[in-house]
Amino acid sequence: MPDTVTTVPAGWALAAAAILGLLATFAAVLDGVFTARAAGAGPSGLTRPFGELARLMRQRRRTTVAADTLLWRIGSSGLLFMALMIVTVVPLGEWTLFDLDVGVIWFNAMDVLAWAFVWLTGWGANSVHSLVGGYRFLAHGLAYELPLMFALVAPAVAASSLNVGTVASAQADLWFVVWMPVAFLVYCTGVVAIAVWGPFTPALGSDIAGGVTAELSGADRLVFQGGRYALLAAGAAFAVPMFLGGGAGPVLPGWAWVLVKTVALLAVFVWLRRRLPAFRPDLFMEVGWLVLLPAVLVQDLLVAVVAAWRA
Amino acid sequence: MGLSDALAKYAVDQAHVLLVELPGHWLTRVAAEQHIRERGWLPVSTPANADVLAVCGTSGPEMTAVVARLWDQMPGPRARVEIDAPHLAAAFDRAEAELLDVGGQQDDSRSRAAVPDGEPHRDEHREVHHGGHHRGGHGGDGKGGDTDQVGRAQHAGMDHHEQGGQGGNDDHGGMDHSGMGHGGHGAREDQDGMERHEHDRQGGMSHGAMGHGGMGHGAMGHGGMGHGGMDHGAMGHGGMDMAPAGIPLAQGGEDRDGLEMDVLHLRMGPVLPHWPAGLVLRSSLQGDLIVDAEVTLVDARLPCDQGDVSYPDVHHRAARRCDNAAGLLALAGWDDAASRARRLRDRLLTDRDARKAAEGLARLHRRIKRAWLLRWSLRGVGLLTEADLARLGLPGHLRGDTCDRLLCMIERATADIAGPDGGSSGASDPVSIVKVCDLVRGLDIATARLVVASLDLDPLPAASEVAHA
Repeated sequence: MPDTVTTVPAGWALAAAAILGLLATFAAVLDGVFTARAAGAGPSGLTRPFGELARLMRQRRRTTVAADTLLWRIGSSGLLFMALMIVTVVPLGEWTLFDLDVGVIWFNAMDVLAWAFVWLTGWGANSVHSLVGGYRFLAHGLAYELPLMFALVAPAVAASSLNVGTVASAQADLWFVVWMPVAFLVYCTGVVAIAVWGPFTPALGSDIAGGVTAELSGADRLVFQGGRYALLAAGAAFAVPMFLGGGAGPVLPGWAWVLVKTVALLAVFVWLRRRLPAFRPDLFMEVGWLVLLPAVLVQDLLVAVVAAWRA
Repeated sequence: MGLSDALAKYAVDQAHVLLVELPGHWLTRVAAEQHIRERGWLPVSTPANADVLAVCGTSGPEMTAVVARLWDQMPGPRARVEIDAPHLAAAFDRAEAELLDVGGQQDDSRSRAAVPDGEPHRDEHREVHHGGHHRGGHGGDGKGGDTDQVGRAQHAGMDHHEQGGQGGNDDHGGMDHSGMGHGGHGAREDQDGMERHEHDRQGGMSHGAMGHGGMGHGAMGHGGMGHGGMDHGAMGHGGMDMAPAGIPLAQGGEDRDGLEMDVLHLRMGPVLPHWPAGLVLRSSLQGDLIVDAEVTLVDARLPCDQGDVSYPDVHHRAARRCDNAAGLLALAGWDDAASRARRLRDRLLTDRDARKAAEGLARLHRRIKRAWLLRWSLRGVGLLTEADLARLGLPGHLRGDTCDRLLCMIERATADIAGPDGGSSGASDPVSIVKVCDLVRGLDIATARLVVASLDLDPLPAASEVAHA
């Protein structure tokens, strides 16, 4: 694979958005199928996301008394924005939209926005349940965010660069996932958490009537839920250059390998949702600070020692 | 209209349904869940996401008010049906036809206000109060319906339940000035399922603190007419906006660390998924911590509506256990196991093969036992020792923490279908709902929901049991 990446003209951003859209649709279809299979009756679930799209497009937008409308809308559309911003720095084989010197930091800056967007969605509706949901997300955030940041440090240290393309090409001999598995797992946990997915759904829990989404309807709900799938896809895509060797692989061209690896990781994320019980925020706080953070710091230390020894 | 008709068809293929279970109608709810799933529709937990409002059973006056508010909170296109078990399919067909009727939905949409406001909801109130009078005028009980689980209502005009007769406002007067306790009856209750309730109460309480005597009680306590009154209050306080949109701000109270913290009042139930039908828990929250709680049953004063409550059949009893287990698993966020428990429940109700059912139960039991993540997350939640059980007068099968009780539900179901030799669970004492408030005080909402679900309650009768913690 090439050592450098080529920056493509900005017009290709539309293509990147389309690919992200397809990946998000794939995730939604897969989730629909898994859900239908578990229910054991009714249609296959293959068309569920499309029906949901039609349903929400047709549904009226709803507001609540004394809603903080501006912040509410900003919050509910924010996740989609984050996902779009993340994929701008993910190289598709040899092409990238935005060959940023500090691409890893860019991802980090974007994932922190989830704090604001999810909480604002909970806040804006001016309803108890959605606000409780918003704070549940923040409690999870306190536990996953620092480990996630330190997990991103490991590949950057190993590659001696914050440029995503350079990190990808530094894995020509050995994928980072092989010798920094802890960082990879913590990174995946963080991605699932920023997408408010799987074990991190207490913020949208059925015990609080949908939590952050309790008051969302129509287009607002569509954009929020679509944003969650898109974030999951963007997170999976970003893992490819960081841990899974970027476009490296036999036979297929680099861009195809990036897509294949993204789809595979995304499918695992989607599958996990139904398999795992929710992490209660108060319990996960302990895990985050007492297990994940020390573990990922030790991982960083090992990676730093190896990197120094190699140099 | 070709495109919008096609869109409608596609959208309605997977309509989302908000199921309202009335006390004593759990079998109807279960049948409706099954039917919905077969149609490819989905049950949801909030009116904001619902296209169909399906009421299982016949509602009393309080419940009617709740249902009316839920209906009002649905964004539309929307349809509403009352269902009873034998005519399920027909009712849902009707809902489908209603949703597909583009013209009718447009008319419905035009008849509603675009922006929610704080205007009193006269139809609804009339209805509540009428009910009260018919039943001997217990108008002052202050329980008029703001009991749904969701936050703000939309304030749209209601085009159904037209009733003649005025006088709703007089009723308000009578109720509202008692302020705190009966705050729920303010007109502002239309705005919001729960926060409003808080504000009603707070309104009642706060005026003293604010020391604006004349305006205080007048404007706030009689918040029945609310809106104007509140605005007035806000004006009186100059720059301090004490009542944005007619809702006074929450008041503080000491939290468990002795710090000042806002107190919020939240009603949980009667329409809340995985929650005992008809149960209403009025709680005072600091953050999401329940500092005080009070339990009532909806429409408690009505003559007992038996519904389908009597279920002497052991399979029904076992199915109830599975339903409770499914609810608890869903609250714990383990969707796969919850689906499995629900399928087991449905099988127990339709197919009477005891051996196959026992196998399914054993598999589920093993699976839960092996799930270390679930055990970790439920470990120590709502721990009840022998001494606690004796003190609270709870039955022995509730011993242990929530995880133990979850396993015990499956074991009880297994014992039920094994017949009298297996030590049927039917003989155990029913759990008195009064205990619920003792159990949830000091817990956060998530834990409280888990604990209530773990009590493995039988369907609540519409008894006149009222408790204050």
